[in-house]
Amino acid sequence: MAGAVLENLSTRKLIALCVVLLLFQAAFFMLGGIIAPSPTTAYPHLTNKCVDTGKHRHKQQWFIPWGEFACEKIVDLEDAIEQEIVANQIVFSIEIPNRPNKMSRWFQYILTVMDITIAYHNENPLGPDPVITMEISLGYRNEGDAPGDWKELIKTTEERKLECTFDRPLIPESNDYTYHCDPMPFMELGSCHHDYYLINIRVPVHEHKDINLDLGKLQDIHIIEIHQNGGFTKVWFALKTFVTPLIIMMTIWFWRRVCALNRQSVLMERTILALGISLIILDLPIEWLTLSVDIPFMLLISDIRQGIFYSMLLSFWIIFAGEHLMDQTERNRLSVYWTQVTAIVFGCTCLFVFDMCERGVQLSNPFYSIWITDTGKNLAMAFIIVAGICASLYFMFLCYMVYRVFRNISVKKTALPAMAKARQLHYQGLIYRFKFFMFFTLLCAAMTVIFFIITQVNEGRWKWGEEHTVEVNSAFFTGVYGMWNIYVFAVLSLYAPSHKDPRKYESTVQNGDVSGSSNEEYELRRTLTDSAATEEPSELYRMTGKTAQD
Amino acid sequence: MYRMARYIELFFLIFTSVQSLSQGQSWWLLGLKSHVFQTWSKVGIIGPSIQSLCNQLEGLSQGQTKLCHLYQDHMYPISTGAKSGIEECQYQFSERRWNCSTVDGQSVFGNVMTIASREKAFTYAISAAGVVNAISRACREGELANCGCSRALRPTDLNRDWLWGGCGDNVDYGYRFTKEFVDMKENERIPPKASAEHGIMKMNLHNNEAGRKAVLSMADVMCKCHGVSGSCSMKTCWLQLANFRDVGNELKERYDGAAEIRRNRRGEIKLVDSRFNNPTAFDLVYLDPSPDYCIYDPSTGSLGTVGRLCNKTSMGMDGCNLMCCGRGYNTFQQEVVERCHCKFHWCCYVKCKRCKKIVDMHICK
Repeated sequence: MAGAVLENLSTRKLIALCVVLLLFQAAFFMLGGIIAPSPTTAYPHLTNKCVDTGKHRHKQQWFIPWGEFACEKIVDLEDAIEQEIVANQIVFSIEIPNRPNKMSRWFQYILTVMDITIAYHNENPLGPDPVITMEISLGYRNEGDAPGDWKELIKTTEERKLECTFDRPLIPESNDYTYHCDPMPFMELGSCHHDYYLINIRVPVHEHKDINLDLGKLQDIHIIEIHQNGGFTKVWFALKTFVTPLIIMMTIWFWRRVCALNRQSVLMERTILALGISLIILDLPIEWLTLSVDIPFMLLISDIRQGIFYSMLLSFWIIFAGEHLMDQTERNRLSVYWTQVTAIVFGCTCLFVFDMCERGVQLSNPFYSIWITDTGKNLAMAFIIVAGICASLYFMFLCYMVYRVFRNISVKKTALPAMAKARQLHYQGLIYRFKFFMFFTLLCAAMTVIFFIITQVNEGRWKWGEEHTVEVNSAFFTGVYGMWNIYVFAVLSLYAPSHKDPRKYESTVQNGDVSGSSNEEYELRRTLTDSAATEEPSELYRMTGKTAQD
Repeated sequence: MYRMARYIELFFLIFTSVQSLSQGQSWWLLGLKSHVFQTWSKVGIIGPSIQSLCNQLEGLSQGQTKLCHLYQDHMYPISTGAKSGIEECQYQFSERRWNCSTVDGQSVFGNVMTIASREKAFTYAISAAGVVNAISRACREGELANCGCSRALRPTDLNRDWLWGGCGDNVDYGYRFTKEFVDMKENERIPPKASAEHGIMKMNLHNNEAGRKAVLSMADVMCKCHGVSGSCSMKTCWLQLANFRDVGNELKERYDGAAEIRRNRRGEIKLVDSRFNNPTAFDLVYLDPSPDYCIYDPSTGSLGTVGRLCNKTSMGMDGCNLMCCGRGYNTFQQEVVERCHCKFHWCCYVKCKRCKKIVDMHICK
C-alpha cells in the first residue's frame, strides 16, 4: 500500500510518461520559439525640443511634441543661440508611443532608459563627476479624451550621475565630437494602463545653487522605451491558464492519496505538497486582471511569486536528498535542515528587501532607482552579494548531500550480492530510479543554465532563411517555465503514495526473468510482507530502516 | 484660415525655387533647399494640394516623385539628410584641393560629378549615409507617421503588428527606405549592359550601399537588463546611431582606400588590380582617376585652388606647397574678431566677450 508510484510503475509506463512529458516540453519550447514574438521591444525615442515661451505661466502646461496642440520646437540646440532662447526655456518632450500607435494593456509594464548625447567643446567641457538635475512630469491620456487633455501622473525632480568618457584629445579640433555616456535608468511603470503617455523634461540651470552648470554641450536626450510585447503576453497568459488547472488537479490528487493512508504524513510528502502549492501560486494567471484594473504592483507580485517558488524548489532539493540519505539518522523533521533552509530564507529575504527598495519605491515614484545614488548602489550590491553568498553556501550543502547519497548507494551496492535475490533486485531498482530522478533534476537545472547562457550570448533571434526566425528569448521563457511545471508535475505524480497492493505481484517476482537491468515488463515489488512496513511512506524509507537493522 | 495661409506660403516658396530642369539634376538639391520643407512639415496634415507639390520639386527623378507622393513626411528628413551629407563632405574635405564646394544650379556639386572618380564615390556614399541617419532620427522623433513596424516597407496593418511584436528597429527602417529612395534614380532606366552608363550605374549603387552600410555598422548595440530583482534574465537591446561625424570619418577612410574598378564585357565590375581583395559592401569604388583639381577647368568641374587658404607649416594636403600645386602663395595679416571667454549653459552661450587677434593668412596664387 505504501510504496511511491515511482517504485510501483512498470518500466513501460514510466517510459510512456517520460515521452508524454518530453512532448509537452517540446511543445512549450515551440510555443515560445515559433508562435510568440520576442518578449520585449525597445523603441528608441528622440526627445523633441520644445520652447517654453512663457505664455501659460499660470497653469500646468504640457509640451506636446506633435499634433494639434504641438509646442514650438527647435530642431537643433545650436539654433537656440541665434533665437535668444535660454536653457531654462527648453523642455524635452516625448509622447509614448509614436504616432499612429497607442499603448495597450497587454504591454504590462513600461521601462525607460535615458541616453544623453553630449558634445565636447573646448570652452565648455563636461565637469568632473557631472550630475544632471531634471524636472520631470509624466502625464497620460486615453483614447476618447480631448487631444490636449493630459492628466498628470507624477511630477518630480530627479538627479542622475553622468558617466561619460571622451576618447579624443581635449583640444579645439575635437569640438563637436561626442562623449560616450552610459545609458541611465529613467522610469519604471509597473502597469501600462493608459493609451498615451507624455514625458516633459526640463534641465534648469541655477547658477547660485550650482545646478546643471557643468553639463558640457548637451545635444540630444534619447529615451528608450521598453515594454513586453502584446503577442508574448498573450502566449504567456495562455500558457499559465493552461498549466494552472493541471497542477491544481495534480496537487489535490497527491494530497488525497497521502490522506488516504492511515498514518501521519511525512516531511517529504509535506514538502512536495508545499512545492505544488508554491507552483500554483506562481501559475495562477491573476495577470488577466491587469487588462481591466490598474495594478501597478503586479511586477512586484510576480517577483515575490517567483521568489516563493524558487525558494521552495531549493528547499525541496535539500529535503529530497536528505531523506534519501541511507544512514541511520532519524530525520523527517524540518529542524534537521535548519542550516540549509536558513541559507535559502536569508538569501531570499535579501533579494526581497532589495526588490522592495527598487520596485516598492517605484510604486510611488516611477523615476526612482536604487542604482542612481552611491549609497543606494552600495546597499543594492551588498544585498546581492549576501544573496550570492547564501546561494553558493546552499549549493555547497546540496552538492555535499548528493555526494553522500551516492556514496551510501555505492556502499549498498557492494552489500547487494550478499542479500536475498528478491531484496537485491528491489534495492537495485530503487537505486536506479533514485538516480533517474537525480538525473532528471540535474537535466532541468542544466537546461535552464544552458538556455540562459544561449540567450545572453545570442542576439535573441535565429534566422532560418529569409522569413523564418526563431525567438530564442521567448523559447527560453516558455520552455524553462514549462519545464519546471513539468518537473513539479512529475514529482507530484511519481512520489505520490501508490495504491497497488504489493502482495498481488509477489508471484511475478518469483517467475520473472530477473537478470539485472535488462528486465522490461518487470515490476519492482516489495518483498517484505511484515505489517509494520506498511506504515513506511516509501520504499527508500524502508531501505534505510533495514540498513539500520543490518 | 491659418493653415490655408501656410499652404499659400508654401506654394509661393516652391514656385520661386522651380527652375528649368537639366540633365545633371540630383535629389541632393533637396539638401540645399531644406528650409522649404521645414514649412512643409509644419503644415502637419498633408492635404491634396501638397500632392502636386511633389511634382514641382526639383532634382527628383520620376520614381522619386512617386515616393514623394507616398511618403510626404519623409521629404523633410531626406532634405536634412542630404544637407548634413553635403556639410559633412565639406568638413572632411576642407583641407583638400577639392573641397566639396557646391555650385549654383541643378547639379549641386557641378561637373565634378561627370567623372566617375573617387570624389563622386564619396559624395554618393555620404549623402546616402546622411539620409539613413536623418530618416532614423525622424522616426525616433515621431515625425514620420509610420516607420519601423513591419518588415514590409509600407505596413498595411500597423496597429496589429505593433501590438503583437512592437516596432523596434528604426535604423533598419532608415536603411530600407533610403535604399528604396536613393537607389531609385539608378534603377529607373537600366542602360544596356555593354554601355559605359551601366558601369557608372553599378558604381553608384555600390557606393550608395557603402554609405548606408557605414551608418548601420557603426550603430552601437545597447542593452538593458530588467529581469527579476534587476537580474539579466530579461535583456532588451536596441541600436544607437553613431555621431554623424564618426560616420564621416569612416567614409573618409574608405575614400582614401577606395578601389579602382573597371567594367568587363559582360557588364560586371571587376577590380583593376586583381592582386587585391575584391571590394566589400563597405568599400568605395571608382572607375576613373580623379583630376588634380589644381586649376580651374569647367569641363572637369575643377574650381582650382587659386585663392584658397593654406597652412604654411603643414606637410599634408592643406600645406601651402601641395594645396597651391607649387604655384606659391601670398601672405598677409588679418584682424579676426571672435567670441571668447564665453560663459556656457548646456545649450546656449550666456555672455561672451569679443576678442580681436591678428593672424597670418596664406592664400594660394
